[in-house]
Amino acid sequence: MGNGALSGLTVVELSRRFAASYTGKLMADLGAEVIKVEPPTGDPVRGMPPFAGGEPHPEKSGTFLYLNCNKQGVALDITTAAGRDVLDRLLATADVLVHDYASVDAGSAGITWERVHDVNPRLILTSLTPFGLSGPYRDFNAYDLTVASAGGWTTVNGQPGAPEMPPLRAFGHQAAYQAGVNAAVATMGAVVWRLKSGRGQHVEVSAQECIASILELTYVTWPYMGVEVVRYGQRPLHPIDFFECKDGWIFVLCLEEKQWRSFVEMMGNPEWAEWDVFDNAFVRASNWDVLKPFIAEFVADWTVDDLYRAAQAKRIPFAPVSTMADLIDSPHLKARGFFAEIAHPEAGAAMYPGAPYKLSGTPWELRTPAPTLGQHSSLVLGERLGMSVDEIESLRSSGVIA
Amino acid sequence: MNGPLSGYRVADFTWVWAGPSCTMQLAHMGAEVIRMESMRRPCLLRALPPWPDAQPGLNRSGYFNQYNQGKRSILLDISKPEAAEIAKRLVAISDIAVENFAGGVIDRLGLGYDELKKVKQDIIMISMSGYGQTGPDAGFVSYGPAQVPLSGLSSLTGYAGWPPMHVGMSYGDPNAGMHAAFAILSALFHRERTGEGQYIDMSQWESSLAVVAEGLMDQAFNGTQPPRMGNRIQYMAPHGIYHCAGEDRWVSIAVLTDEEWQAFCGAIGQPELASDARFATLADRKANEDELDAIVEAWTSELDRFEVRDRLQAVGVAAFPPMTNKDLAEDPHLNERGFFAEKEHPEVGVRKHAGIPWKMSETPCRVWRAAPTIGQDNEYVYGELLGMSPAEIADLTEREIIH
Repeated sequence: MGNGALSGLTVVELSRRFAASYTGKLMADLGAEVIKVEPPTGDPVRGMPPFAGGEPHPEKSGTFLYLNCNKQGVALDITTAAGRDVLDRLLATADVLVHDYASVDAGSAGITWERVHDVNPRLILTSLTPFGLSGPYRDFNAYDLTVASAGGWTTVNGQPGAPEMPPLRAFGHQAAYQAGVNAAVATMGAVVWRLKSGRGQHVEVSAQECIASILELTYVTWPYMGVEVVRYGQRPLHPIDFFECKDGWIFVLCLEEKQWRSFVEMMGNPEWAEWDVFDNAFVRASNWDVLKPFIAEFVADWTVDDLYRAAQAKRIPFAPVSTMADLIDSPHLKARGFFAEIAHPEAGAAMYPGAPYKLSGTPWELRTPAPTLGQHSSLVLGERLGMSVDEIESLRSSGVIA
Repeated sequence: MNGPLSGYRVADFTWVWAGPSCTMQLAHMGAEVIRMESMRRPCLLRALPPWPDAQPGLNRSGYFNQYNQGKRSILLDISKPEAAEIAKRLVAISDIAVENFAGGVIDRLGLGYDELKKVKQDIIMISMSGYGQTGPDAGFVSYGPAQVPLSGLSSLTGYAGWPPMHVGMSYGDPNAGMHAAFAILSALFHRERTGEGQYIDMSQWESSLAVVAEGLMDQAFNGTQPPRMGNRIQYMAPHGIYHCAGEDRWVSIAVLTDEEWQAFCGAIGQPELASDARFATLADRKANEDELDAIVEAWTSELDRFEVRDRLQAVGVAAFPPMTNKDLAEDPHLNERGFFAEKEHPEVGVRKHAGIPWKMSETPCRVWRAAPTIGQDNEYVYGELLGMSPAEIADLTEREIIH
């Protein structure tokens, strides 16, 4: 057993929509042995940008490489009887199966609670779908934009004062990340409970619900006030906004009144700051159009870093609008050793985003790069399942494994 | 209480949203979560809207009540040394301690990990400050809204050619909260197998960076920052949010495969588009995306947003309107699944809160109680759990320790 918090735990992952891959990654990075089962054609995420070097290549998708460090990769066609038999043998040795297959596809591949529970009664099955396994939308098709919209997120994002522009997604695959981390949390609840009960269970996660439950104060304005949220999100207090400095953008934020007072002091106690219309955070929000130009004028004379640090010195929670380069070069993140270098045989070496948390007794760690397609097929079938070289080669020649 | 964490107790030092969103996950799974709050500096969320009838009140905020469901609350002003000692007594009978003050604050209160370990040797403690406990900027203050720009998400989000954008909510908070809950449960699993507790230093910034990987990996491999592209994405088209009939009504449509594209063309009554050379493959559709989007929007803008969804979903195309809060509360699917949690609250009555986004077959999770009023559980915690006499409680209250 290794020294990670989840060492000794075996997780089988079936993922083609990012989400279950993130669940698997969170667990793998804390020491779980995660066996990623891909179809012989590969996880579709292998085809998604950004690519190392810019050109599409199944071993060079930056997103795939990030999501799949520390995992073993098996390429297995689970739609065949022989493939399903191999999967069942794997599941018999596993603690968790996490998947993000649509329920109809999961059903036809035999990934149902009834069946896997029969194969291994101690197994925890985590099914991660866009809309859950019940209800009228259970078979709806969905990608990240679909879930972010169905969960109510895109509604509250968009440029204020530009009603002709559409509601807006956040960059990346945020619905998948949230579904993935929710699934990891719920799965670990089941893992902890199993220590006492010895029993597996079926954990079902709805990505739509993962988003609908994190909408800040926007969702509750309906049940509390009967107010339908405006498309661009309501800022009940201010300042919370972007401003342009000499060399880039800064985020000006005063949540507590003492922070606003400190900011006013920083601006040299201008006369306008004493006007009644700026008296507290709520009236500042009502009069934001009036206030904004005053702040803009002050901010424009500063560099981002000078203003950020001057504000923080007064405990005002401003933040820079970081670019990707700013982050990779950040002295603070460097001092914490956040980015971790990983070398991959095809994609080469790069600095990957590292630990979201540091556990004092059981370190988070990047041990191995993402598997190339089928890299560990023979190893897992041979060593874990005890299959002979002949058996493995026969599966390979019939296309069941790659 | 039921759920997989039934029998575990959490000493909850958190406030605002990041920390409380973490401990709510633990409460969802049946842990007994006890929030320590003070009248000297009540949780910021208690002062924020929405409030019923627009009437503020410490116990009336929907924002607070949404993210503190299923917890207990006691008054304890931990800025006072005597109160910190009482907090330790609570820690001594807890399994997990959670805090999200700025870096260094919890140590100055005398409630750092080394102190807590003295009273509960195998405690699992997590600090979830904005910047983490080490590094040159460890003492910086941060709130969830600032994590969106700080993590780079703002520089990547926005319309093509427009300034950086927020993402419409204080995303750094719930994101940190969920990651923290996962780290805690992993540490709990380790403790149950080895008897060892531990300390977790979590940075909200770093947990935000964990979900910006598509941008960071482009920079890491290619030295490039992905441009802001609105709702477009390199590997899908159409991929956007389009006008529907009605004011400010929209629908999202996302097409990944050529099969989905062909189905889409059939559903909009223009099957000939599928063989149109301008749109036959993804590369063609990306090359002619402005034209493509105009065709899509010409169709959607005449129709009700839910009709667009149903017509496209019927042929397997991913479509869904951006839901408003009202849409969500009235959504037949979410209601049929029993997603909403509606528990009686002494000051706001029954409100339809967002519930638990997962279901477990053997250890059902449920919200057992509405969010607590401030100090609602003083009697239970000080009397029953810590064994204080009514006189003792009255004295501590008088001296504003319990305050």
